[in-house]
Amino acid sequence: MILLRWIVAILLCGWLGQYPLAMLVPNLVMERVYSKIGEVVDYNQLNVTPRVDENSRWVVRPSPDLLYASCLYNLEQGSIVISAPVPERYWSMQFYQMNTDNFAGITNQREQHSRVGTQVEVTLVGPDANPAEYSGKVIQSPTTRGIMLLRASAIGDNSQAKSAIENSSCTVKSKHVIS
Amino acid sequence: MISTENTIIKKLRAFRWPLAVLLALAASALFLSLTLKHGLGNSFLKNGDWYTSKSTGSADADVIVKTVVAIGGLLASTREDSMYYRLGSVAGEPLRLNCRYRIEGNDYDADWWSITAYGWDYYLIPNGEKRYSFNNENVSRGEDGRWVIHVGTSQQEGNWLPVGPSGAPIEDKSDEHDFDFLLRLYTPGDAYLQKPESAPLPTVTLEGCS
Repeated sequence: MILLRWIVAILLCGWLGQYPLAMLVPNLVMERVYSKIGEVVDYNQLNVTPRVDENSRWVVRPSPDLLYASCLYNLEQGSIVISAPVPERYWSMQFYQMNTDNFAGITNQREQHSRVGTQVEVTLVGPDANPAEYSGKVIQSPTTRGIMLLRASAIGDNSQAKSAIENSSCTVKSKHVIS
Repeated sequence: MISTENTIIKKLRAFRWPLAVLLALAASALFLSLTLKHGLGNSFLKNGDWYTSKSTGSADADVIVKTVVAIGGLLASTREDSMYYRLGSVAGEPLRLNCRYRIEGNDYDADWWSITAYGWDYYLIPNGEKRYSFNNENVSRGEDGRWVIHVGTSQQEGNWLPVGPSGAPIEDKSDEHDFDFLLRLYTPGDAYLQKPESAPLPTVTLEGCS
């Protein structure tokens, strides 16, 4: 009878324990990808991804219909600035925190279509920074580290999208305080 | 019987708590793997044979959606940017390399769409044609605008989407399907944002198996 109680208790804890375990998985997966990519590229720098094919095995489910560039950011030393020309066809700049949440994004779609042809400049600040101390478009990351991903349509004539991706940048910014 | 139980309990008594914790952790991992494999219907919406979620990429996503997306769709955007529909089986039968499939459709209310075939390892499938997807611009259509994509390992007329063995070692395979399809709808219209479980989607049918 005592053994049966132990078995029931273990199974019950196991059943309940799957949910905290599941909460850990996204963080573990993101940490693994962040470190794996970080072994071959520098942090706080834009990395243009070659056109994806069967050998693209850094991040699951790459789309052959998109051009990508990414920036593995680490805001421990301060904010970074992401600058990107916006092409005519689909384009987006998405921000992911270390639990995989897509916490912010900018596109050239819907009400943001007016961005087409402009140069977007975003200051990404850390969780402890005060966004009001920065000028221009400011996004606050909930985590010190994360990934910024640029996507641009590779469908049809993609020369404009390719040029936009290649002329984007991700650089460390010295703090600018509004006077 | 009672004396046997008592003997086992006495032997395990010294290590009962560490052993119980280890067993509970192992049970948690087992339950989680079963939930992820069979519990998609509870956390994901079903539209025909396609599965999707309104909360992909979002902080509002439940823990199962977040885990499934982290494993099989990391860095997915939120639905305002893109809706993702995944299909890994037709009428309950997992997609197999020894079968041929037919995907039929039209145009969809989105800035653009694409259908990509991925191996069971979640990466693009190696193939001599270097063709991994079709999109709203490169798919060949009939006069009425409708299109058909033929999926299989051997070459077919028209829009042929080649599939084959995934790039990862076969001994790592734990999924039932050999490959799956991912439909991306970028800047989706209201039908997909509001009622993704009933919005129009391509249909996938089994043509035959060898």
